[in-house]
Amino acid sequence: MANLVYLVPLFPLIGFLINGIFWKRMPKTLGGVIGCVAILASFIISLGIFFEVKSASFQGPLVVKLFDFIQSGNLNIHFDFQVDALSSLFLLIITGIGFLIHVYSTSYMGHDEGMVKYFAYLNLFVFSMLLLVLGANYLIMFIGWEGVGLCSYLLIGFWFKNRDYTNAAKKAFVMNRIGDLGFLVGMLLILFNYGTLAYQDVFAKLPAAHTETSSMYNWIALCLFIGAMGKSAQIPLYTWLPDAMAGPTPVSALIHAATMVTAGIYMIARSHALYDLAPMALDLVAVIGLATALLAATIALYQNDIKKVLAYSTVSQLGFMFLALGVGAYTTGVFHVMTHAFFKALLFLGAGSVIHAMGGEQDIKNMGGLRKKLPITYITFLIGVLAIAGFPFTSGFVSKDEILLAVYEHNKVFFYLAAFAAVLTAIYMFRLLMLVFMGGFRGTHDQEHHLHESPAAITIPLIILAIFSLVGGFVQIPHLFGGHDYLNQFLGKAGVPAVIHEGPGLEMKEWTLFGATCVGLLVIFLATKKLFAVSQFDGNYSGFKKVLANKWYVDELYDTIIVKPIGALSGILDKFAEKAGIDGLVNGVGKTVRWGGDRMRLLQTGQVGFYIFIMVLGMVALFTLGFFWIK
Amino acid sequence: MKAIIATTVFGVIMMFAGLWVNDKKSIAGLATFLFAALLGVTIWDLTTTSVNSPKSLFNDMLRSEHYSLWFNTIMTGCSLLYVLLMGKEVQKVGKYVSEYFALIFFILCGLYLLSMYNNLLMMFIGIEILSIPQYILAGSDKRNLKSSEASLKYFLMGAFSTGILLMGITLLYGAARTFNITEMVTLMHSDALNPLALAGILFIMIAFSFKVSAAPMHMWTPDVYDGSPTVFTAFMATVVKSAAFFAFLRLFQVSFNSLSEHWVMVLAIITAATLLVGNVTAVFQQSVKRMLAYSSIAQAGFMLFAVLAVNAVAWQGIIIYAVAYSVATIGIFAVLVKLKDYTYDGFNGLAQREPLLAFVTTIFLFSLAGIPLTGGFMAKYYVLLAVVQQGQLMWLVIFALLMAAISVYYYFRVIIAMYFKAGTPEISSPVTGGDKFMLVVTCALVILLGVLPQLFLTKV
Repeated sequence: MANLVYLVPLFPLIGFLINGIFWKRMPKTLGGVIGCVAILASFIISLGIFFEVKSASFQGPLVVKLFDFIQSGNLNIHFDFQVDALSSLFLLIITGIGFLIHVYSTSYMGHDEGMVKYFAYLNLFVFSMLLLVLGANYLIMFIGWEGVGLCSYLLIGFWFKNRDYTNAAKKAFVMNRIGDLGFLVGMLLILFNYGTLAYQDVFAKLPAAHTETSSMYNWIALCLFIGAMGKSAQIPLYTWLPDAMAGPTPVSALIHAATMVTAGIYMIARSHALYDLAPMALDLVAVIGLATALLAATIALYQNDIKKVLAYSTVSQLGFMFLALGVGAYTTGVFHVMTHAFFKALLFLGAGSVIHAMGGEQDIKNMGGLRKKLPITYITFLIGVLAIAGFPFTSGFVSKDEILLAVYEHNKVFFYLAAFAAVLTAIYMFRLLMLVFMGGFRGTHDQEHHLHESPAAITIPLIILAIFSLVGGFVQIPHLFGGHDYLNQFLGKAGVPAVIHEGPGLEMKEWTLFGATCVGLLVIFLATKKLFAVSQFDGNYSGFKKVLANKWYVDELYDTIIVKPIGALSGILDKFAEKAGIDGLVNGVGKTVRWGGDRMRLLQTGQVGFYIFIMVLGMVALFTLGFFWIK
Repeated sequence: MKAIIATTVFGVIMMFAGLWVNDKKSIAGLATFLFAALLGVTIWDLTTTSVNSPKSLFNDMLRSEHYSLWFNTIMTGCSLLYVLLMGKEVQKVGKYVSEYFALIFFILCGLYLLSMYNNLLMMFIGIEILSIPQYILAGSDKRNLKSSEASLKYFLMGAFSTGILLMGITLLYGAARTFNITEMVTLMHSDALNPLALAGILFIMIAFSFKVSAAPMHMWTPDVYDGSPTVFTAFMATVVKSAAFFAFLRLFQVSFNSLSEHWVMVLAIITAATLLVGNVTAVFQQSVKRMLAYSSIAQAGFMLFAVLAVNAVAWQGIIIYAVAYSVATIGIFAVLVKLKDYTYDGFNGLAQREPLLAFVTTIFLFSLAGIPLTGGFMAKYYVLLAVVQQGQLMWLVIFALLMAAISVYYYFRVIIAMYFKAGTPEISSPVTGGDKFMLVVTCALVILLGVLPQLFLTKV
């Protein structure tokens, strides 16, 4: 099965080509079916690959050679796919959740005239992401990396007639490009130092961990991390992700859960051998992750757009993942990617269901009391909230508990800050839940009249995701509850190291965490209800709350210190360097050539005698050269 | 060998067909059939000759090397493509359609001799068989003064260059005492090169420069190409020119390779001058047909790189360049003959009226300019690679690239006229479905050459 791995990205590519070429003429239903079937086929093959990798007989990473990609001098890059535990797990997440989102989209986008085009983009998105995780070298990862960036641009700006949406798409693209530059530099550094980009060759050339220190490892790891900052929305490049809400809601789910933002985590987990040698870069990963988790959580507290809250919660959760990676708990980071994919896809799709019912309304100011009208959405959303808040035994609890434990053993200060961020998570998620589903309806009468539960194509994916959000964590039940670390063992086959918790006092720590979580959540739940005055919510803030609601004014700050000075500089350069200098030079060359052409044209007199005279002159000149100048 | 006999016989058949058949269409049909048959014969020749052991023919007058036969096959294929694309236009030139086709068959006979000669006499005969039909074709539009003028000019200057060629052959014979080009190698030594031999080499180089329209022997080209009936210009500028280049390379590769230090700088200067004159003069032309004449000079500058390089890659380069350049140029001329007005303004608004025509023209122009994914890119790549591998003349390679940048200007003017300027181009003859099909096939060939050039290469 693993030898068929090329089929996994091939199906979405075919789906993209069919839908992309015929999007104008194809009926909507057919386009939707093609899009879904392509991903389903990939998912089935991914399942087969996963179980093959999981079986005991699977030996190490398998590199499937497809063709020679670039051969130039000593540079030799193959187009190969690498099948191992890490990539097969990501395959499952991408295609599995991707498939549910596709199914959901058939209903959600059913009334949009560009639906077939939409499915073409969606398939291309999945294709790019699959390329990213399957590549056996950094270049193929980079191709997927760029493809993902392109698709996010296309999908965020899908409703391109709205100026704000296209601006959001541009912002996402530019922010990502900044990160990409870091990735590219890191890649070139690897190529320069090791002469190859294939994972196995590069890692084989690295010395055993901690035996040798060199600033080069830190530089490479840092550059790669800058790439991850862009793609996975970490400080300072996170501002594009909340704006990316401009796209259709299932796209947000796809970006936040299955594709795109997890790319940075995957890249660092894939390069763990390198990061192990770069303690400084690894510390930076942890610090940035922690800071992002905190910052985004505070912003999420006072957002009024249902999707914005979820967006900032993604940024915050990504921060947790990087924190886990930064303290060396690579498998834990990947584990949180997996659980987060379940509940974040669930939350976004639930939010989409709410928006659908509200007729496009996204402001929670006008919601409230929806639990009666949208029972399935309510229950599944509740499960999602519990999972992300870390309610005991949900998937989010297990993975976040593991992160906190790993951080606790690494650095106590980090632990308290991370725990605080986790508390904030619970607060803003409960606030969202209450403002949307509890209390009385605050919207117009018209909207209330139209409220309805969404069709099966929307609710079934919600239910499936809710189930996984509940039980998805059982692959890695904490030691305290007699569980196993299946995932650690599985990823261990790919050589991804796990933090093994052991020693005296471990149970004590786990009990403390568990107890604190239970009590904490109860307190938070009750406090939130009072704190946000759910019954008379009007959506206006003052004082410090307003600073948070305005996202710490980070966008404005970037605008003042980066965008405006660059704009001014480009104005100056345009006026003096471009128009006067470069244009003058380029046009000057062009004018000279034209002038020469005009003169040389006159040599062509039409007189045979003159032509033969020129020939004879030329011959004499050439003979003189041939006899007297050369030798 | 079989192809030489076949093309001669076919030429004679065509001439007699003109006596009995008066219907132009049937004659064109017969010609198309015979060209297809000729392609079959060249393939037969190719498959029955082993790759490693060339056959010596007629007492070593000819030698049928594998790459020569491969070149014959490809060029016959291009001729067939030419006839399929332009057969209808040939009928419009004048009364004697069968004779035009007969002359083209004789030109191909000269081409086969030039790709296989092993003796300077055969080379001379090949060049004359190649040239004389062209003088007639150039003047075939008898009512048109420009056509007659082109014919006469071509003939006068061609006679002049023939004199130079004979002079060169004579001097070489004086130095080496043989006409056999493979034996000649052992009789001339680089360290003490006979001045007779050097003069002979330079004379032959100049005569070939005339045939391939390299500066300063290029002066005939714009007038002749512009004055001749457009259909025949297309053939002269492509297949015929490629044949002359192949002969040029063959002689300088086989006989004068070891003496390259004596002549390579002279040829480099010819190359530089050709690139400069062709590209810079093309910039200011108002007529697309005349621009294509200058562009053929510019392209000749690139093909000269293969002769400069004298190594194995040069053979690949000349073959791929010949086919890429021929196919794209034949395609452009096939579009050009459909238009009434040959100036740039005549192309204004073509994209609206005939979108397919405009599209294929764009691809052909891309190829001539050397844009990647078209055959022209691969062709330029191979000939420049050949020189780079020799490790000298890097200045010339850089100069050539700059000149290629200039060429983009005048090629893209056509694209700008077609797509961005308003106008109603006048079409001289209706564009049928068959025409469109053949143009799309040609276009596909151009792209295939750019993506999979290996298909057109052979073992040297």
